[in-house]
Amino acid sequence: MTNFDLIVVGSGPGGYVAAIRAAQLGFSTALVEKADMGGVCLNWGCIPTKALLRGAEVAHTLSEASHFGFNLGNIEFDLGKLVDHSRSVAGKLSQGIDYLMKKNNITVFKGNASVVDKGVLQVELSSNSVTLTAPHIILATGARARALPGLEVDGQTVWGVREAMTPKMLPKRLLIIGAGAIGVEFASLYNDLGSEVTLVEAVDRIVPAEDAEVSAHLQAQFAKRKISVLTNTTLQSIDRTGTEAIATLQQGEETLTLAVDNIIVAVGITGNIENIGLENVGAQTERGFITTDAFSRTNVVGLYAIGDVAGPPWLAHKASHEGILCVEKIAGIDVQPLKAERIPGCTYCRPQIASVGLSEQKAKQQGLAVSVGKFNLSANGKALAIGDSDGFIKTVFDKNTGELWGAHMIGPEVTEQIQGFGIAQQLEATAHELAHTVFAHPSVSEAMHESVLSSLGIALHQ
Amino acid sequence: MSSIVAIQMPKWGMEMSEGVINDWYFTVGDSINAGDDVVDVETSKIVNTVTATHSGVLRAIIANNGETHPVGGMLGVLADADTSDADIQAFIASKAGSPAPTEATPSDVAPVAAPTQEEPAAATAKSAEVVSIKSNNLASTNLSALTQGEDDSLVAASPVARRLAQQYGVNLHNVGATGHHGRISKADVEAAVSSAGGKLHSAKPSQGDGKSRTNIDDSLIKATPVARRLATELGISLVDCRSSGDRQRVCKADVEAAAALQRKLETFPELPANEPAPFNATPMSGMRKTIASRLQQSKQTAPHFRVHVDCEIDNLLATRKQINSASNAIVSVNDFVIKAVACALMQVPAVNVQLEGDTIKQFTDTDISVAVAIDEGLITPIVKQANRKGLLDISNATRDLATRAKLNRLQPDEFQGGSFCISNLGMFGVKQFDAIINPPQAAILAVGSGEQRPVVKNGELSVATVMSLTLSSDHRVIDGAVAAQFLACLKAFIEQPATMLG
Repeated sequence: MTNFDLIVVGSGPGGYVAAIRAAQLGFSTALVEKADMGGVCLNWGCIPTKALLRGAEVAHTLSEASHFGFNLGNIEFDLGKLVDHSRSVAGKLSQGIDYLMKKNNITVFKGNASVVDKGVLQVELSSNSVTLTAPHIILATGARARALPGLEVDGQTVWGVREAMTPKMLPKRLLIIGAGAIGVEFASLYNDLGSEVTLVEAVDRIVPAEDAEVSAHLQAQFAKRKISVLTNTTLQSIDRTGTEAIATLQQGEETLTLAVDNIIVAVGITGNIENIGLENVGAQTERGFITTDAFSRTNVVGLYAIGDVAGPPWLAHKASHEGILCVEKIAGIDVQPLKAERIPGCTYCRPQIASVGLSEQKAKQQGLAVSVGKFNLSANGKALAIGDSDGFIKTVFDKNTGELWGAHMIGPEVTEQIQGFGIAQQLEATAHELAHTVFAHPSVSEAMHESVLSSLGIALHQ
Repeated sequence: MSSIVAIQMPKWGMEMSEGVINDWYFTVGDSINAGDDVVDVETSKIVNTVTATHSGVLRAIIANNGETHPVGGMLGVLADADTSDADIQAFIASKAGSPAPTEATPSDVAPVAAPTQEEPAAATAKSAEVVSIKSNNLASTNLSALTQGEDDSLVAASPVARRLAQQYGVNLHNVGATGHHGRISKADVEAAVSSAGGKLHSAKPSQGDGKSRTNIDDSLIKATPVARRLATELGISLVDCRSSGDRQRVCKADVEAAAALQRKLETFPELPANEPAPFNATPMSGMRKTIASRLQQSKQTAPHFRVHVDCEIDNLLATRKQINSASNAIVSVNDFVIKAVACALMQVPAVNVQLEGDTIKQFTDTDISVAVAIDEGLITPIVKQANRKGLLDISNATRDLATRAKLNRLQPDEFQGGSFCISNLGMFGVKQFDAIINPPQAAILAVGSGEQRPVVKNGELSVATVMSLTLSSDHRVIDGAVAAQFLACLKAFIEQPATMLG
């Protein structure tokens, strides 16, 4: 039996960050991981997809090269090299986590962990099993893609995210089920690489978590790129015949059939709550996720859950921050709970989407009096200069206090710009402070400023 | 009416007799404002910071880093910049022979300097350009006026302004607002401090948050670009550096000095070449010295006697299992012992005592110290008013205290005091042991491990889970019969845990 002050199960961005913070505070800390260090984010999520999307961006840039005077002639593309780039980035970062664990004196166990009693963890290593004890155990086991009945991933025709990230060859015709962040990223990626993409969404708009205007803009952009978007549509069945599949889709009263080479399923995720011993201690779950309070405490004393397994939003940066708050709370540091409306979300399709806080619709549903600002990038000098002026920045302020309720951006590199609005929210800046902040020229970020001015009715360039 | 002031070793606790100098925040020649953190002192079980109650120039450092000095001993000298060196030396010489104050100061009194009379404001009217102890005194008076006022949490201020105000101890009610929407800005706070004669300084933390200061964000500290890069290169936090450069910025020389000091602290004293056997020489830490002196004093002054009893804990273990079947409970055997001790002390209050001089203090509530082993030694966090707490409350409080004890995050009032102490070595498989009383407490309970042993009942041999308890008592205040009565009472509670509900 081995004793620690604190054990973390899962080495994703929630788990490894929690472990480092605990070690920093002086806890003797252990981390248990059953697969690759870094979890889904590093190995099969955020990072490798961004590496692939960079390839898609290069493809797009090359396709536009003639506009800037370059005639490139016939361009060859080696899909294998792009996949290798993506995998090597993931591998490098995963090794980086190993280094961080060593640096912080965190003991790492590689194997499946299960809570066998309060404060007791059983870990199945490759050759034997060990019992670990700690007064504080943090579960950060993450989540996985939800499976659709009848559409189980077979690795051949039906792809999960892993297959979608390591294609051997480019599918000629690709069907993507689900138009959330993951679905639209794959749609954008494969369209730029040359696939014929059909994107299916059950509700009435794509990226339904975003502001409705953002959804509409992205859908229009996708239409221009000849991505076929079917909203209010559900998949009825697939018929796998040899190398192709015939999908039957239901759109309202209409039934459509579609022959495709591959199908990617991206219809939401479900928490990894099985086989980790929750039932042994009576830990409560709710709709596939572990129930926790504002500081990630479960109903079981000494047991905590952070990140995806503890429920939405399913974002790496939310997991990391939850991990830090959870550990600091245990250490007796006075911390404030995470505010959900201050967690930004980014989607890396082309054009990129970034948002934080309430959408205009949600703010109005809550009965808030808002003043909304909007600025189109087509009036932004820098965006025009780089030949990428599709998009806009929308800001939602409280009409009375000027508090920033939300910001919604679609356009080039908006995922880098959203932090500006995040800082403004955290510092409780109002529209007036933002209006009197000097934004550098020329920059795409000037559109943020103009959007704020627009909310005050004083936009300069539109 | 002296304008030369000694910075003295403070007395932070009843039994504090000396302290080890850890780190000076200033070097000789630096100007110090009243309220500035001056020097870190490692005392019994914590590192605390001495703050200046007077303003002036640091003219001499008498106590160097690593040295041990008695309470009341002179650590350094504050004076006017133009006081002559001869006067300073004379002052030091005059104080050198004087004994340390024997009068105990209350532990919550801010440390420091021998009181000097404040000059009347009128008498201090000097030109503002002349830096003198008198004008600094005036400044500190004005500064202290800035600190007055009601709760300022509702005053409109930018986050930076609020944080700065906290650093300077300024109440925001006393600051004029010129920021957006009438908010107090950073500039407003700085202007208020400056106009009250305060010196604007780069932030220095009064207490380290953790062990490695290189983790502290030092990006707000003013430094030259070279100093910042050099600090990164050498792994030095700018927080640990003097700021002797232009416009009070940390400069290259300051970083090099901090690095040299760190190297000196990390290097072990060299052994003579002809030393026969290799060993590691480690100076005793403040905590080690405290443990050593207190327990030696206890053994020498308190006549210990021990009473021993075996308890059957099968009922207790069954009750524990029932309680722990609930998800919100993870009650240990030791939590039961704490609860039982609290109950027994209420029944035999003659054991719930401290001895101070010729006075026996018998407490109304039971504050039970629980010994926790930590890397540097041991510490005894207190489960306060355990008699008023249920078993779950005791269990949760104990776990939180033990967690924070290991992280060095206990507040002094969480481990100083206590009316009774429990030391449990059962988890190490120890069957039975004697413990030394932790003065001014008068008794300590040593708890062994629960193990199956043969017992004879009604002439029959049977097996029971048995735990051995040993009470060490100070015979000056607790007599044998009282100790025996207490143990009998404790045994009854432990063997029939349901009776603790009564």
